[in-house]
Amino acid sequence: MSEGLVLEGLAVQRGGARVLDEVSLAVAPGEIVALLGGNGAGKSTLLETVLGLHPPQAGRLRWAGQDLARLPVEVRSRAGVGYVPEGRRVFAGLTVRETLEAALDASRSERQRRVGEMLDSFPALAARAGHRAWSLSGGEQQMLALARALMPRPRLLLLDEPTLGLAPAIVEDLWARLAGLAASGTAVLLAEQKAATALSLAGRGVVLRRGRIVAEAPAAALLANAGLADLMAGA
Amino acid sequence: MIAAQLLLNAVALGMAYALIALGFVLALNAAGAVNFAHGDLVVLGGGVAVALAFHLAAPAWLLVPLVLLVLGAVGVLAARVAILPLVDRPPETTFVATIALAAIVEHALTLAMAGAPATVPAVAGAGAVQVLGVAVGRQQLAILVLGGAAILLVWLLLERSWIGMRMRAVAMDRTMARAVGIPAGRYIAATFALSGALAGLAGLLLGHQFLVSPTQGAGYMLKAYIAVALGGWGSVPGALLAALGIGAFESLASAWVGDAWAQGALYVGVIATLALRPQGLFGEPAGRRV
Repeated sequence: MSEGLVLEGLAVQRGGARVLDEVSLAVAPGEIVALLGGNGAGKSTLLETVLGLHPPQAGRLRWAGQDLARLPVEVRSRAGVGYVPEGRRVFAGLTVRETLEAALDASRSERQRRVGEMLDSFPALAARAGHRAWSLSGGEQQMLALARALMPRPRLLLLDEPTLGLAPAIVEDLWARLAGLAASGTAVLLAEQKAATALSLAGRGVVLRRGRIVAEAPAAALLANAGLADLMAGA
Repeated sequence: MIAAQLLLNAVALGMAYALIALGFVLALNAAGAVNFAHGDLVVLGGGVAVALAFHLAAPAWLLVPLVLLVLGAVGVLAARVAILPLVDRPPETTFVATIALAAIVEHALTLAMAGAPATVPAVAGAGAVQVLGVAVGRQQLAILVLGGAAILLVWLLLERSWIGMRMRAVAMDRTMARAVGIPAGRYIAATFALSGALAGLAGLLLGHQFLVSPTQGAGYMLKAYIAVALGGWGSVPGALLAALGIGAFESLASAWVGDAWAQGALYVGVIATLALRPQGLFGEPAGRRV
């Protein structure tokens, strides 16, 4: 088994301010880790750093035994890193089918086969395959953002606030899909403000506050911790 | 009969402007900032055609693929020099870099042409052919056929090919495109190759009717900018339709009231349209307008 995602002593500066400091965590293949924290805690920056949008000033960033820090964003995707951003960020003018096809660098027949698989797996998207992404509902856009990330079969999936604005039934469906992906060996790092929702899925939680990890424990222990909300808020 | 010929001239000029506006809007969407050198790439297309016709004594039709190739390469060079190194900086940086590039192209053309305007040979020969009893200028016909074919091919590339899907994805959200594995820099460079080739084709086609003069770039740039603003910032069909309209209006109004009044009326019309509909005729509310 490969070592999964490993961050060691990661530090990131943005606009002259240190937004991540001494962050160390690991996500094993098949594991779901919830990254918890309030606004400005550094959750999105952490995911974006793993994705390659911010160069770390210090520390190590490894994925499947490979040093990620030097790889451009697009190469990280090809190395198996998938990303579902906050606010979905679908390609508004592309249809569902075009979005999925654009996200896979493969032969035409392989692209079409994979798009077919994805549409079979997401029936709500199959019904809207020819529609442009801007015309989809929020839930459909979230599913499209997930399906787009899954096209190249990532082995590490980063999700930033995926439940934002979604109805409970859609969150339930999303959680079932993520659990299935983890069961098939995908490592999942999930940034969420809604701690209880995230910990209902994750096996382990990591609490970030002002760019530092202030707690890390199994999900059940964090859920049982009456002071979790205060911990996240920095009280 | 004269009315039909006038109308044909008007549509031909609109088609040439549409090629300029199409290249301009593709580059705008790919880079997220205005390429102020686009008008000078149009003039460069004419200049390259003049030079190739003179030095190679190439037949006029052969100038089309040669100019497309040369200006496509110039487009890639422009992207590598003035766009890609600045792509993550504020758009104002690209604004200044492309203005500098425009000045370099203009001065290089001034030196190469010794400041003297020159004519590009007519790509389909001189004179006119009879179509349904109407004498149609060969050059106007060539503009309509080549312009229409170029626009159709670009549409097929963008809307019907995997490369086109990825180009559009990069234009819509460069960061997310990279996050799903699309090498955005390569696609931006490819878009600039297309943009340069379209500018070159327009310069080649316009260079027979209006001569090629090193200082024409700002005028072409302004027409493209207005077409994109009127059509809806970033809207490809909007830019095409607005450019066709501008060319047609300019040509017909010039024949009616003279060039000076026609130009004045055009700009009054532009201001009035944008005052009534700031997002342009076919656009959503405006994005960045550098």
